[in-house]
Amino acid sequence: MINKKTCAAALVAFAFSMPAVAEEPMNDLEIAHTAYTAGQIDIRYAHLALALSQNEDVRAFAATMVRDHTAVNDAAGALITELNVTPQDNGLSQALVKGAGEKVEELTGLRGKAFDCAYATNELGYHQVVNQTVEGKFIPNTTVEPLKELLTDALATFKQHEKHAENMVSSLKCS
Amino acid sequence: MLVKRTYTRRRAGALLGAGLAALFLSGAPRAGDAPRTHKIDIQKFKFAPAALTIKAGDSVEWTNHDIAPHTATHEEGSWDTGTLSRGESAALTFETPGTYSYFCAFHPQMTGTLTVEA
Ligand SMILES: [Cu+2]
Repeated sequence: MINKKTCAAALVAFAFSMPAVAEEPMNDLEIAHTAYTAGQIDIRYAHLALALSQNEDVRAFAATMVRDHTAVNDAAGALITELNVTPQDNGLSQALVKGAGEKVEELTGLRGKAFDCAYATNELGYHQVVNQTVEGKFIPNTTVEPLKELLTDALATFKQHEKHAENMVSSLKCS
Repeated sequence: MLVKRTYTRRRAGALLGAGLAALFLSGAPRAGDAPRTHKIDIQKFKFAPAALTIKAGDSVEWTNHDIAPHTATHEEGSWDTGTLSRGESAALTFETPGTYSYFCAFHPQMTGTLTVEA
C-alpha cells in the first residue's frame, strides 16, 4: 500500500515549491487567507467522515475537527472584521483547495475500514504539513500582533489534532 | 447522586457570589466548615491543576481559556460540565467522597483527577 502520509507531504511540498510561494514570503493578508482556507478544508474532510464513517472514534475525531476549526475560524473572522481588512487569495491557498478537491474525490469512493484509514492517515499528514507551515512560515512572517497571537493559539490546537490523529491511525491498525 | 450542577457559564461568578452571600447571611456554618469553590483552569489543552483534593460539599469551577471548546467529563459518566467555549466556566458541587478520573470529551488525551475527602 502506498504511504498516503508521504503523498500528502509530497503534494504540499510541491505546492510550497511553486515559484510565487518560494520566492517571497507571504504577507499578513495572504497568511490569513491560507490559514482560514486550511481550516475550512479540514471541516470539509470532517463532514465527509461524519457522512461516511461508522467508526465511533473516527466520528468523534471528525466532530472535534468541525468544532475546533470552526472556533478558530470564527475567531479569525472576528479579527478580520475588527481590523477591517480583506484576506488575499494566493497560490498556496489555491494549491490547498485543489489538493483537497482531489482528496475528497478519492475519499468519497471509499467505505468501511478503507475510508477510516484513508481519512485518518490524511488527517495526520495534513495536520503535520499545516503545523510545519504555520510554525515555520506563517508565525515568523506575520507582522500584525493579534493575527500572530491567533495563529499561535491555533497552532496549539492543531498540534493536539496531530497527536489525536496519530493515536487514531495507530488504533485503527491501518498498515 | 454524586454531584449536582449548581451554576454554569458566564453567570458562574454572579451566582457564586449570591450563593456565598446567602450562606454568609444564614450565619449557620463556622468559617472552617464552609464549602469552598476551587478553580481549575483549562489552558493549552491541560487541566491546571491536573490533580485536586477537595472536601465533600465543595465545588469545583472549570474555566476554559483555550480557543478550542473543552469539557470536564467523568470517565464513568456520572458528571460533565458540558461544552465550555473560550471564557466560559461551569461549576459542579461534589457531595460523595471518592477519587474521580475525568477527561475532555473532545480531546481525550486531556485528563485530570479529583479526590473528594469526607
Ligand atoms: Cu478539550
